[in-house]
Amino acid sequence: MIPPNTTRVVELKIPGELGYERVAREAAASVARRLGFSPERIEELQTAVDEACTNAIRHGSKSDARMKVVVVLSADEDKLDILVKDPGAGDSPPADVMTPDIQAQVEGRSPTGGLGLWLIRQMVDEAYFVEDDESGGNQFRMIIYRTMDERHPALDDGSSSTDDEGDNQ
Amino acid sequence: MTDDIQVTVSFERGATIIDLAGDVTTFAEEAINKAYHDASSDGAHNIIFNFREDDYINSAGIAILIGIVTEARKRDQRLLMTGLSSHFQKIFRMVGLTQYADLYPSLEEALASIEEAA
Repeated sequence: MIPPNTTRVVELKIPGELGYERVAREAAASVARRLGFSPERIEELQTAVDEACTNAIRHGSKSDARMKVVVVLSADEDKLDILVKDPGAGDSPPADVMTPDIQAQVEGRSPTGGLGLWLIRQMVDEAYFVEDDESGGNQFRMIIYRTMDERHPALDDGSSSTDDEGDNQ
Repeated sequence: MTDDIQVTVSFERGATIIDLAGDVTTFAEEAINKAYHDASSDGAHNIIFNFREDDYINSAGIAILIGIVTEARKRDQRLLMTGLSSHFQKIFRMVGLTQYADLYPSLEEALASIEEAA
């Protein structure tokens, strides 16, 4: 008999090549459907996983198909915990996540792009880089609850919603 | 590995309609920009980006659209967007794209808006 609170883990490796982030986001959506996530939450999850994997491919793997990005989906009853690991081939993750200034971009005062991490923050309940001294790579963790009601109370006061260390990714 | 995007251009009731079907990601950049620039070269003033409900759009796709918004502003063109799922309507509002492009639930409503403004 499997204990009721058993965490189900799905792990996949994708090549460090743009386009394969789609495989990860579809796998994440499939797991979330099994957990009973609403269609709206699944779309938010897909956007977050796609952006995180795109960053891991573009920056952490320098778009080199020989490198591997590992995505670990840990499913509990009320939430999905996603860890995206890359080889850390590019620059270190930026220190801050800034709200995009589309007006500055449209007026040519700022380059376009830099939306990825900001967008992730809007989609999930927690998102942050994990210190990984052993592998030398980057580890980015995201947590999304099945419903907004299941979020940890501490998340609702804005004190720990996201703790990212990145920008322009 | 490339993602599929189908970009087709048509003209109807005073508007240039750029249909997008598939994934709007970095792989779509060339096709979307070509469709927009061809339309602009033909003197298009009202340009509708007509998405499919199941299109997927990531931040690279949004950056492509921000680039087009920038060009459209210089050319005094009106941009309209239709057919987006509620998820991507929400994201476009969050990002601020709706300051520069009007969202309509359907192509018909976008075309009617252009006719009213004429």
